[in-house]
Amino acid sequence: MQTVDYSQELAVIEKRPSLREIDEIISKPLETKPDKKYYLALSITVTMLMIGVVGLGLSFYYGTGLWGNNNPVGWGFPIVNFVFWVGIGHAGTLISAILFLFRQKWRTGIARFAEGMTIFAVMTAGIFPLIHVGRPWLAGYLFPYPNQHSLWVNFSSPLLWDVFAVSTYFTVSLIFWYVGLIPDFATLRDRTKNKIKKLTYSVFSLGWRHSNRHWQHYEMVYLILAGFATPLVLSVHTIVSFDFAISIIPGWHTTIFPPYFVAGAVFSGFAMVQNVLIFIRKIFNFEHIITLDTLEKMNKIILLTGSMVGYAYAMEFFIAWYSGVQPEQFAFINRAFGPYAWAYWIMVTCNVVFPQLFWIKKIRRTIPVMFAIAVLVNVGMWFERFVITVTSLSRDYLPSSWAYYTPTLTDFAILIGSFGLFFTLMLLFTKTLPVVSIAEVKAVLEDAQPSHKDH
Amino acid sequence: MSSETKIEYSKKELPSSFGKAGYTLFAVGLVLVIISYLVDPVRSSFNNLIMLMFLSSIGVGSLFLVAIEYLGGAVWSVPFRRIPEFLGAIIFILPIIAIPVYFNMHDMFHWTHTEDVLSDEILSGKVGYLNIPFFTIRVVVIFLVWMLFYFMLTKRSRLQDQTGDQKLTSSNIKISAIFMPFFAITITIASVDWIMSLEPHWFSTIFGIYYFSGTVLAAIAVVTFLVVYLTEKGLFIKGIKTDHYYSLGALMFAFVNFWAYIAFSQFLLIYYANIPEETYWYLNRWEGGWIVVSLLLIFVHFVVPYFGLVSQPSKTNPKRLKFMAIWLLVAHIVDLYWLIMPTYSPESIPFSWMELGFPLLTFGIMVIVFGIKAKKENLVPIGDPKLKRGLDFRL
Repeated sequence: MQTVDYSQELAVIEKRPSLREIDEIISKPLETKPDKKYYLALSITVTMLMIGVVGLGLSFYYGTGLWGNNNPVGWGFPIVNFVFWVGIGHAGTLISAILFLFRQKWRTGIARFAEGMTIFAVMTAGIFPLIHVGRPWLAGYLFPYPNQHSLWVNFSSPLLWDVFAVSTYFTVSLIFWYVGLIPDFATLRDRTKNKIKKLTYSVFSLGWRHSNRHWQHYEMVYLILAGFATPLVLSVHTIVSFDFAISIIPGWHTTIFPPYFVAGAVFSGFAMVQNVLIFIRKIFNFEHIITLDTLEKMNKIILLTGSMVGYAYAMEFFIAWYSGVQPEQFAFINRAFGPYAWAYWIMVTCNVVFPQLFWIKKIRRTIPVMFAIAVLVNVGMWFERFVITVTSLSRDYLPSSWAYYTPTLTDFAILIGSFGLFFTLMLLFTKTLPVVSIAEVKAVLEDAQPSHKDH
Repeated sequence: MSSETKIEYSKKELPSSFGKAGYTLFAVGLVLVIISYLVDPVRSSFNNLIMLMFLSSIGVGSLFLVAIEYLGGAVWSVPFRRIPEFLGAIIFILPIIAIPVYFNMHDMFHWTHTEDVLSDEILSGKVGYLNIPFFTIRVVVIFLVWMLFYFMLTKRSRLQDQTGDQKLTSSNIKISAIFMPFFAITITIASVDWIMSLEPHWFSTIFGIYYFSGTVLAAIAVVTFLVVYLTEKGLFIKGIKTDHYYSLGALMFAFVNFWAYIAFSQFLLIYYANIPEETYWYLNRWEGGWIVVSLLLIFVHFVVPYFGLVSQPSKTNPKRLKFMAIWLLVAHIVDLYWLIMPTYSPESIPFSWMELGFPLLTFGIMVIVFGIKAKKENLVPIGDPKLKRGLDFRL
């Protein structure tokens, strides 16, 4: 049974659409009025966002005592959510920058969307350190600048490196995203009849005329930005892992954390991209642009990164035993069999067991199943951050200060709000900007290939 | 246009100078190695361990390159996939190289001293893992696993030269997928057992990845060198372009950075946490003159190759590629030397003719294995369905 012909390159975009058809289908959501379903979805996400706003408002009014954070668990939901959302953003840069450097053509259909997700996820993540400092109006001091109080930041703290890493990452991601959008803005400008839209698109397209010279500059800038974004994406989650790993808390201090966190971030990010794209391709009729093959490739990456995360769990356990360090051994036994065992086993099953189903081709290509697995992956990855943060803190070196962390309603409200914010931004994005890069998709059409043959 | 590319390959003999170089390196190396074993067996065993780890890197790292090509569906590397396939045959030499180390284990691995282990609370806690029978079983299993996958992957590739059957590619993809978890586990155990346990109190969860990063970099470096060398000599298939060179150079550059990232992560976390259980390993590589090697490693393994490969023209310049490839192989030896030798001599840096014999023998073995394989088999997988696409490859 021969299904694949390896001597031919598989088409990334199916059905061989013409250039005009691509323009039409991708800009259609921007040129039509939103329908009822859209408003329904928007009202749900905005409601979630409002729940978060209420939670935040109460926290600002009464103080952070409304949260479950206690002594010794000083890092509760806010840090868990921060790490979770920063992680979600990572898939975007992996797809748009790293896969670009690897010349993976299938990324074109999903890159724009994933990159957008990066930006929204980092924005969502940014809220949590701000509120966690307790006095967000003083957060400006996180940036080192000469001031009257001679107040300086602690340069040797990874928490500060986070400020630099995340803000740099956000800036570069935004520029990268915008540069990619310029040719598409020009296309939209040329299509629209509405004067206000035309003016807006004209301003943002920076006078782009699709000329050869423009393209040459564009390609160069895009490659350089991809080169910049690649180390940045690694550095961000590496530094997030440093927040934990430089300390001497058992379960936190382990050298595998940097690559393990990066793999975990890509893992959860891909799961989120896959989830959202399943809806997008269906609703906007992009099934021939974001093909089942593309989804299958994403599932393979989920399998790969999930296995890397599993490797890291195993290695941590092994070395905890091998090291002979008693607090370390206790921390890991406590994780698996202590008061938070429930969270630990949710994490293991969702992150290590379920993604292994992607070894089976049929599951990789069945949309409802892959959707469910990816949802579980995100549940698992959220719990991973919960397990790391909470179990280690709740059982530190001094048994007399041990405590159980119970999140409060306010904590949950803010968590729900973060999802509300993320999905609201996502929904607005789908109606204001092309969610698939028009220019890039045209470049990977079968007819655009130098080795193109008629067959 | 480019679809007109024809596959022009006729098997040519490697120049006799290639074989001669190999046998000369091998003979000189072997003589030096035998003499150094007679003079100082313990020191030689440590050097032997470096040789073992280096050749494991090349052997199993090459197998990894083959597998990753199948899994990723890559086409650009197909024309020279035979090179890592040939180098994978080094795996069969590994048991022979391991024998001298095995017989001198008592002088190398502190955990083999039963009486010391019993009086040491930490070490006696590790007896379940660090004991000679279990260690032996692991070594044997690791070698068998590598050999098994070498057989399975290369057998189908060779068969395809005659049949051109696409099903062979399909089954090799499956085998490669199964190989990956085995590769991850075996290479981790190998690095923990053969390097980390030299200082049995020390531990680091990233250690397997650290060795992996060096392994893959070394394998890519050999492949890059051979591709450029064979193309320049006109022994290779026509159609290897700067696009291929560029990709190899970029891959080397990527792994230079990856190694640096992993090495730095390990160092920074241990340095910052400053726990005596962990820091002593780095202190051993700082005191007694070892500071020189530690600092040298940063330059040899990262700074020089980084600047040597960062620019676009340098990745397509054949001279630069060959130089950097050899440089990175030497860097891998320096890395292994830095990992292994401080256990032998914490007080001073042991460096003399004894340390030269082993690398000579190592390179000799590599050249000879490649030469023998190249004599028997095609240098290019001519039956591979992806070959033409690989030759048509453009950035």
